[in-house]
Amino acid sequence: MTETPTRVPTSIAAVRERIAGQSSSNRALLLMAPLLAFELLVFVIPFFILLRISFAESSANFVYAEGTVSLEAYASVLTNELLWSIVGYSFLIGVVVTVLSVLIGLFYAYAIWRSTGLVKSLLLFSVVLPLLTTLVIRTYAFRPLLSPTGTLNEILLSLGLLSEPISFYPGTIAVVIGQLYIVLPYAVLAIYSVLATMDWHVVEAARDLGASRPRSILEVVVPQVMPGIIVATVISFAWSVGAYAAPGVLSSSLTFAIQVEDMMYGMRYPEAGAFSVLMLLLMLASIAIIFTVLNRFGGEFDLA
Amino acid sequence: MSSTLHRETLETAAFRAGYLSLLAIMLLPLLVVVVTSFSGTGRLAFPPESFSIAWYGEFLDSVRWLDAFTNSIIVGVGTALLATVLGVTGAFGQELEDDDGLLGTLLAPLVLVPLLIPPVILGITLLMYFNEFGLRGSYASIVLAHTLWATPLVYFVMRSVFSRFDWQQLDAAQDLGAGPVQSFVHVVFPNVKHGIFVGGLLAFIISLQEFVMALFLSTPGTQTIPVIAWTEIRQALDPVVSVVSTILVVISVVAIVAAVIATNLEWLSRQLS
Repeated sequence: MTETPTRVPTSIAAVRERIAGQSSSNRALLLMAPLLAFELLVFVIPFFILLRISFAESSANFVYAEGTVSLEAYASVLTNELLWSIVGYSFLIGVVVTVLSVLIGLFYAYAIWRSTGLVKSLLLFSVVLPLLTTLVIRTYAFRPLLSPTGTLNEILLSLGLLSEPISFYPGTIAVVIGQLYIVLPYAVLAIYSVLATMDWHVVEAARDLGASRPRSILEVVVPQVMPGIIVATVISFAWSVGAYAAPGVLSSSLTFAIQVEDMMYGMRYPEAGAFSVLMLLLMLASIAIIFTVLNRFGGEFDLA
Repeated sequence: MSSTLHRETLETAAFRAGYLSLLAIMLLPLLVVVVTSFSGTGRLAFPPESFSIAWYGEFLDSVRWLDAFTNSIIVGVGTALLATVLGVTGAFGQELEDDDGLLGTLLAPLVLVPLLIPPVILGITLLMYFNEFGLRGSYASIVLAHTLWATPLVYFVMRSVFSRFDWQQLDAAQDLGAGPVQSFVHVVFPNVKHGIFVGGLLAFIISLQEFVMALFLSTPGTQTIPVIAWTEIRQALDPVVSVVSTILVVISVVAIVAAVIATNLEWLSRQLS
């Protein structure tokens, strides 16, 4: 109550500071607003509409019957055995490609980390360049290489390793190779970005203490780059399960992506929506499991 | 002792052979693309039986491919502009927000999640959504879809660029009486412009190569290069696809070189100042 004249300016200054602070956080909000609005309008709301359409009835004349609520689409997807075998095949491709991509990615990232000068630039370039080329191109290049009359078969035949050509393409082997080529650069970069911050002397110390090279990598390098391995696994898995280009170009097998596209062109929107929602849930559950398992794996090594 | 040394030499040799063969495998498909574009026959074989540049002439005569090329550039530039504006303002706003508020912590995962959703599902979702508004087939619909994928890259590049910026310079500018816009243009922008350039370039390349969402959202008038390449590949495979692919690979290489020069300029200017 008894304010001394000297206290007034300080309180004014405090108020001014608060206003200034507030306007700065308002400004931050204003700057983030376009991005938030964009994500809301082009990502969040569309997914709610997908969810809504997946609960609509199908219609003979339109892509779906507006204003209806039913579980018809889910029932038809869940009881269709063909769809489940397609989902199983998609997950099989996803798991095989993910395991290969993380193992090879770890090896390649390690090689980039250990190399110097021109070799390092060349190795990095070989990862970045495919990344910047469209999936379609990256995939179809495997056709002349893997077909029964293709380059690989010709080489194997002329070396006498084969007596008759193997048909890699079209088939699952070609899909795995094509899809691996699509996700490997991302896996390598994800692991390399963590590896690049690691201190080589730690590995050296383990070797001086008598660890063999494979052991020093497994027990020193792998736990340290676990964050990179987790990112590589999740990316490889998410993109391979939903793969569209590689199965489409390199095989005649049905995967989730090809099947759901078929439903869209067949104007069965509720069914396509329900199939997508179920697939997303399955993927989300798988990613959660991968995350927990790998985290624990890394954590155990930290404790030891 | 000599046996361990022997084993280590073997290990080194195997390691080297391993990564060098991987290097060859990584570059092989791109080599196939470039070499088959000079094929002398209509059959796509590697290595080709004979060489010619006839298919380049075929490409230049094809209205369909050239239209697709224009479409790709329109969509790519649109995506680069939109993603750069959204990514830069978003990252900048988050940097200004000193105590991490709720929105700030929500923003990063929200921006990242679209990258983890299979493009087929995104394509279907956006097709249903744009159908409701009659936007289907427009350039805008493809630009918006591509921006969903390009923005995370610009955003994360800019966050790392802004985290290295000395924010006291901004405070100093404001203490000297510069307004928010003025201080951004004269103080922040010159320090981060190379980062913005690299981010925009990444966004352009992402858009140039994306095809699943473009396939779902485009109509014959707005088909981009990868979409046409896809339909061509599924019908008959002739070397024009390789010609187009080679041109795209060359654009990408030029873009990488430009990015390397830009980042090195950044490094150079840091050394000089």
